[in-house]
Amino acid sequence: MTMLRLRDVGVRFGGLVALNDVSLDLNRGEILGLIGPNGAGKTTLFNCITGVVQPTQGSMYFEGRSLRLVPPHERARRGIARTFQNLQLWDSMTVLENLEVPMDAVGRRNTFSDALGLPFSGYSERAARERARAILHVLELDGYGDRLAGDLPAGIQRRVEIGRALAMRPKLVLLDEPAAGLDARETERLADLLRTVRERFHVSLLLVDHDMSLVMRVCDFIYVLDFGKVLASGDPAEVRNDQKVIAAYLGEATPELSAGEPVPELVSGENPEVTAPRKEPGEVLLEVESIAAGYGHLEVIRDVSLSVRAGEVVACIGANGAGKTTTLRAISGVIHARTGSIRFGGRDITGAKPERIARMGLAHIPEGRGLFPRLSVEDTLRIATDTTGNRAPLDLAYDVFPRLKQRRRQAVGTLSGGEQQMVAMARAILARPRLLMIDEMSQGLAPTIVRQLFRLIDVFREQGIAVLLVEQFVESALEVADRAYVFEHGSVAHEASAEELRRDRNLISGSYLGATADETAAIAVASNGHSNGNGHFPHPDLMEVVSMRMPAALKRALEERAEREGRTVGALALDLLEEAKR
Amino acid sequence: MRGNAWRFAAALIAFAVLARLPVGLDAGFQFDAALAVIWAFGILSLVLLYGYAGQVSLCQATFAGVGAYGAGMTVASLHGGYLLGIVVGVLFATVLGVLVGLPALRLHGITLAMVTLGIALVFDKYVFQDHLFDWFTGGAAGWQVSSASLLGISVDSSKHLLASYDVLLALFLVCAVLMLNLHSSGAGRRFRAIRDSELAASTMGVNLTRYKLLAFAMSAGMAGLGGSFYPLVAGSVSPQPFWVFTSLQLAAIGVLMGVRYVPAAALGGFFMAVVPDVLTRYGHGTFLNRAYEISFDWFQIAVGVLLVLQLILLPDGVWGDLRSHAARIRGALRFKRAGEVTAA
Repeated sequence: MTMLRLRDVGVRFGGLVALNDVSLDLNRGEILGLIGPNGAGKTTLFNCITGVVQPTQGSMYFEGRSLRLVPPHERARRGIARTFQNLQLWDSMTVLENLEVPMDAVGRRNTFSDALGLPFSGYSERAARERARAILHVLELDGYGDRLAGDLPAGIQRRVEIGRALAMRPKLVLLDEPAAGLDARETERLADLLRTVRERFHVSLLLVDHDMSLVMRVCDFIYVLDFGKVLASGDPAEVRNDQKVIAAYLGEATPELSAGEPVPELVSGENPEVTAPRKEPGEVLLEVESIAAGYGHLEVIRDVSLSVRAGEVVACIGANGAGKTTTLRAISGVIHARTGSIRFGGRDITGAKPERIARMGLAHIPEGRGLFPRLSVEDTLRIATDTTGNRAPLDLAYDVFPRLKQRRRQAVGTLSGGEQQMVAMARAILARPRLLMIDEMSQGLAPTIVRQLFRLIDVFREQGIAVLLVEQFVESALEVADRAYVFEHGSVAHEASAEELRRDRNLISGSYLGATADETAAIAVASNGHSNGNGHFPHPDLMEVVSMRMPAALKRALEERAEREGRTVGALALDLLEEAKR
Repeated sequence: MRGNAWRFAAALIAFAVLARLPVGLDAGFQFDAALAVIWAFGILSLVLLYGYAGQVSLCQATFAGVGAYGAGMTVASLHGGYLLGIVVGVLFATVLGVLVGLPALRLHGITLAMVTLGIALVFDKYVFQDHLFDWFTGGAAGWQVSSASLLGISVDSSKHLLASYDVLLALFLVCAVLMLNLHSSGAGRRFRAIRDSELAASTMGVNLTRYKLLAFAMSAGMAGLGGSFYPLVAGSVSPQPFWVFTSLQLAAIGVLMGVRYVPAAALGGFFMAVVPDVLTRYGHGTFLNRAYEISFDWFQIAVGVLLVLQLILLPDGVWGDLRSHAARIRGALRFKRAGEVTAA
């Protein structure tokens, strides 16, 4: 029986079409997967279903009733719950309280009887608490009830979000990237958990995730979104072998996608595609040796090593969340590497300040381009020439990007996505870098524009600038690159010449669509492959315990006892905490 | 409910102690004591609005002022009883609170602060002090409230000052207990959910419109309740105590003392009413043969400096950080015991 039915749903933000004629059916008790490259409109679709964003066209029905103009809290009461990609727990409340809010918000309790502490309120209060504890138990979060949600590691917070959604007694739970930041083993645990959740709580699930191994494993049916449209749908095996899907993920611009779109000529008139014979790469410019880095409690990359030679184009490819962006950030000094070393131009830059690294000739164009929307094009470029102490005339940039000269008085925020990317690149080359790192250059851009931007990479190579690319359009990236590193679960899985990777397509499509990912994960586990470069093998439970504050002596005592009993420190510590509580 | 009984017991003890504090002091200090409770109401209203629900407001003194004028008008112009005056005052303030809450449905943070500051300015200059509203406000000079009585406490009589202080204090403690109950109950959690993430709150079934308006209405009503006692305590109503700066001061002292915690309201009220008076009374004399005088201006500078220091050193406010220090010490003791278990 159809529980959620979307028909021709469309969303526009100004001129941007985020969703276009999306139709989707979700049956009761089903786990439905929703996948697609970045910017395909998955989160927008979630926002539509939960009422945070109003669709500009189309209709939505939940259990046969229209959702038109129904406010978000009312949809929640009808049984639609969700989690968030960027965690939205109520940080200053305890985990239990986080679960109680949706419970009694749905139960319509009375503010004044609450304030007076009437017995009626007391009963429902205790009932809510009991239920919250039961949910935490199912999600294996028993020890966390009284901790502040904001203090927990991100992985636990994601599970608490699932618990909070379940607390509402929902009929449908929308999960937005529940596996983000988890490693292969934790992802596996999550997959089991989701199946348990469906059975214990009698809910249907709509799952968005970039981790294909998870989606393929748990989903009954999959929809693939690309550029706001449903590209394909089918069961996991069908989707995995669908040529269109592989193309969307690996970035082969299919003719039907680019048809009908205007083809703006971005690059100067003469064709820069005439590739001169590639020069032999020079000496090693950038050398990264087994670095680990992350955010807060979360270690995103471990044991990453790579090198870039002068005049070389190197691509980093791999699924989302594999650690590519974090690697670039660690190199440019935005975050600090926890272990390992980074050398640039023969000098050690580990732990150096980002502005110093930039001055040495290492330019970083971050994901989302890092532009100031209200500044004009010319002012944006001036900033670059000023801050680097290098008063290169702007003509250098305008020669490469003649279109920017026409628009030099326009505010950057009003330019198209492709033009904004050009501004970011122009700003970077004005600093006369020796190495240019570009993060997701093609994000959210039409394939035709992407092709033209890629030709620019060749132009950079001509000028002797080395380029390190992070790219989701793998095919295009491999066309332009000399070598590539394939990232999986926070470390480099393969390194190969671009030619080799182009020939052996299975090598990459596996790491994206999860066919071989299971194997590599198994190998990694078998060989105890979670080494973070220090010779430690962090167990997920241990990571949680380590993230708590405790005296060093106590920690040592714990480790000794754990070794004697042959258990993990995490499991032991959690047991002891339980005991101490009693 | 165990927690509830505890709170009422604590409130009774607090009443027994606090009611005795100003006994035997001169009329000036007794007036300060009553004023302290009025400002404590103002800060308590901010605890609900900003501390619980996360809605910035810089017009809490205006709510108190509307309460005061409402009560004053009922008693002085309409010759109603004082009890009716309080009801009218609270009602006026609550209605104004809902009106101010309407823009808050769309605004956040700094823009909401500007809007509420604007409302405070408008009421200060164009309602409390404007001739158009003289029939209501008595003009810039304010007006005398006389010949009214509440439960036998007559207005403008310094010998009954203590009695009105006791009534005020009792009401404040009741409100404080209700606020504590609210914090740990469903409605309080919904307020706090709105503070931490509106997006998550709305998609988890919290009706934002309803709870934001409710927060503004309850908060304004509470500030108005305190304010409606002002005529009884001071014997007159004038615009000066409820001008813009008082609103700012309530916000500043609220944050200073820990705007998320109910006891901070009592601390703040005391600080705001008593410290400036002590300064002006005893803050002059000679030091090393030089005459000095610490005026009210010094108090305002001190509040500013303390606020800067607090934001750096005690980010959760004076009360908040005291509490978490105590909790940490308790936690350390518990950990020590856990360590013994491990070693065994």
